[in-house]
Amino acid sequence: MSSEQTLLSARGAGRTFGQTTALEPVDLDIAPGDALALVGPNGAGKSTLIALLAGALEPSTGRIERRKGVRVGWAPQRPAQYGRLSARENLELFARLEGEHEPEEAAARLLEEFDLPGKASASANLSVGNRQRLNLAIACLGRPEVLLLDEPTAALDPEQQRRLWERASALREAGGAFAFATQNLDELERYADRVAALRDGRLVFVGPADEYDRSQADTLFA
Amino acid sequence: MTRIWLLLRKDALVLRRSPLVLGILLAYPLTIAVLVGLVASYANAKPRVALVDEDNLPPTVTIGGHRFHVDRTIQQVSRNVKLVRLSPDAAAQQLKTGKVVAVLTVPPGFISTLKEMVRSPRLEVQLSHGTISSRVDQQVQALVYSLNRQLQRAYIDTNLGYVTLILRGGKGTFLGRPISILGLERAQKVLARMPQTADVRTLDDFIHDARLALANTGDALQATAHPIELDRSHDRGRTWVLSANVQAYALALTITFLTLMLAAGSLAAERDENVIGRLARGLVGLGHLVWAKVALAAALALVLGLAIAVAFGVIIQVGGVTGGEPWRRLPLLVVGLLLAGGSLGALGALLGALAREARSASLVALLVVLPIVFLGLIPSEIVPPAGWASSALPFTHSFELFRSALFDLSPWGEVVKQAVWLVVLGGIFGTLARLGARRLLV
Repeated sequence: MSSEQTLLSARGAGRTFGQTTALEPVDLDIAPGDALALVGPNGAGKSTLIALLAGALEPSTGRIERRKGVRVGWAPQRPAQYGRLSARENLELFARLEGEHEPEEAAARLLEEFDLPGKASASANLSVGNRQRLNLAIACLGRPEVLLLDEPTAALDPEQQRRLWERASALREAGGAFAFATQNLDELERYADRVAALRDGRLVFVGPADEYDRSQADTLFA
Repeated sequence: MTRIWLLLRKDALVLRRSPLVLGILLAYPLTIAVLVGLVASYANAKPRVALVDEDNLPPTVTIGGHRFHVDRTIQQVSRNVKLVRLSPDAAAQQLKTGKVVAVLTVPPGFISTLKEMVRSPRLEVQLSHGTISSRVDQQVQALVYSLNRQLQRAYIDTNLGYVTLILRGGKGTFLGRPISILGLERAQKVLARMPQTADVRTLDDFIHDARLALANTGDALQATAHPIELDRSHDRGRTWVLSANVQAYALALTITFLTLMLAAGSLAAERDENVIGRLARGLVGLGHLVWAKVALAAALALVLGLAIAVAFGVIIQVGGVTGGEPWRRLPLLVVGLLLAGGSLGALGALLGALAREARSASLVALLVVLPIVFLGLIPSEIVPPAGWASSALPFTHSFELFRSALFDLSPWGEVVKQAVWLVVLGGIFGTLARLGARRLLV
C-alpha cells in the first residue's frame, strides 16, 4: 500500500503513560475502503491506538500521518460530551468547532439520524444508550472521511447497531474508511475486511480478515 | 478567537445551569469577606482592663474648689476600654491568663496627694504582651490625658491664687498650714516710705518688674497647660465599613475566590467529561482551552465586580457619604476587573491543569486561595517575606489596583504599575497552565 493511498497511518507510533507502556511502536495504515477491526483483550492498547490515530493523544514515539485535508471522526469508548448541555447543544457546539457551515442544520440532521431527543434536557440525564448515540453523532460531525470507533456498539440496541454499520458501510463505499475496536468476534467477521490484533501493547497481527482465524483470536483472548 | 468565544459561551451556559454551584461560588467569598471584616472590626473592640482601686476612690472629689465626678470620668474612659474593678490578686491572675490586657492601679494616697496639689500623684499600669498592648497603652495614656485636662483648671486656679497672694499679700494656706504673705504691692508701699537709697530703688525696680510679669501669669499658665489646642470636628466621611480598604478588599477577595475555583474546576472538568481528547484533536488547541478559561474568569470577575462596586456606590450615594469616585471611576475599574480576573483565572487554570480532576481542582483551589488572601492581608511593613510572596501572586496587585482606581486622586501611575504586574503574572501562570494542560490528556 503506497503512502499516497493511505488516509491515515501510524509510523512507529507508541505511547507511554509515566513508566507504563500502553502501546509499543506500531506501523499501521488505513486506506480508502478499509474496514479495520482492532481486536485484543482488555489493556491490549486498542483504545490508545485509536486515540493516537484520532489525534486525541500525542504519540510518545513515532508519528501519526494524515493525508492532507482528510477529516477524521472519533467516538471514544466513554462518551465525550458536556453533561450539562442538551444533545442538540452538544451537537451544535461541536458542529461549530468542526467548522460546519450550517451547525444548526447539521445538529438537527444528526439528531434525527441517531434518533436522539431534541428537547433541552441535559445529556447527563440521557440513558446510557442515548449517550452513546450522541457520542457517535458527534463523531459524524464535519463529514469525516475516516471514522474511528472505540467499541461503538457496546451500549446500542440492535436497531441502532444496524444503523451504525449501515452508515459505516456507506462511508466506505464513498471512498472513506472506518476502524473500530471490538471484543465481539461476530462484528469482526461481519463488518471488517482487515484486522489488527494487539496484545500487551504490541501489534501481533495485521492482515485481511479472512487470514485471521478464530483460533488466533482464542489464543489472543486467552 | 472564535473557538475561545464558543468555549466561553459554553462555559457560561454550563454555569447558568448549575445554580447551586454558582450560588455557593458567590456566597462563599462574600461570607469570607464579611468574616474578614468582622475580624478586622474586632481590632476596634474594647479591650478589657482591670481597675484596682487601692485608695477607695470616692464618687466625687473636690480639688482646688472644683468638684470632680470620678464615676463619670471612668465612664468616659469606658468608651474606649472596658474597665472592670478587681482586687489586686484577681487582677494579677486575670492579667496572667489574658482575661484582661492591662491592670490600672490607683495606689493608696492617690486622692490625698492630688488634693495637696504640690506633687503629681501616680497611677500604675501593667500591660500584657501581645499585639494590642500598644493600643491599650494608648488608651491608658488617653485616660491620664483626660484626667489631666479636667484637673488642669483646678491646678491653674490654685496656682493663680498663690500668685495673687504673692502680688497682693494676705492670708492663705499651703500644704494645709495657714500662711500670711506681705505681697509685692504692700512691699512696694513699704519701700516707698523708706529713704530712697540706691538699694531701695533697685528693690523697687525689681518689685515693679515682678508685678508686671506676674500679672501675665494666668495666660502663661493656660499656655503651659495647652501648648497646642486641638479643635475636633466630624464630617460625613466614609465609615469603616465603606472605607477604601474594605471596598477594595471585598472586591479582590470575592474575585480571587471565584475566579481561582472556577477556572481550576472548569478546566479540569473538560477532562472529567472526557471532552478534552475530542477538543485536542485539532478542534481547540490546549492553549485556546486555557485562554478560554482565563476569559471566563475575566468575564465573571467583571460581572461580579461591577455588581459589588455598584452596590457600594448606591449605598454611598444614598448615605450622602463623601470620598472616592464610585461612579466616575467605573470605566477604570472595568479594566482592573478584567485584568485581575484574567490573571487570577490563569493561576486557577494552572491549578486545574495540575489537579486534573474537577473535584480535586476545586479543593486545591480552595486550599490555595486562603493563604494567597491572607498573605495579601498581612502588611508587608510588618512581615516583609509575606509581602514578597504576595507580590508574586495576583491578589495584592488586584487589591492595590481596585483601591487606586476607586479612591486615589491621581490613580494612573499606580493603576498602570499594578496592571503591568497583573498582565505579567497572568502571562506566566497562563503559559505554565498551557504546559501543564498536557497532563489533562493522560
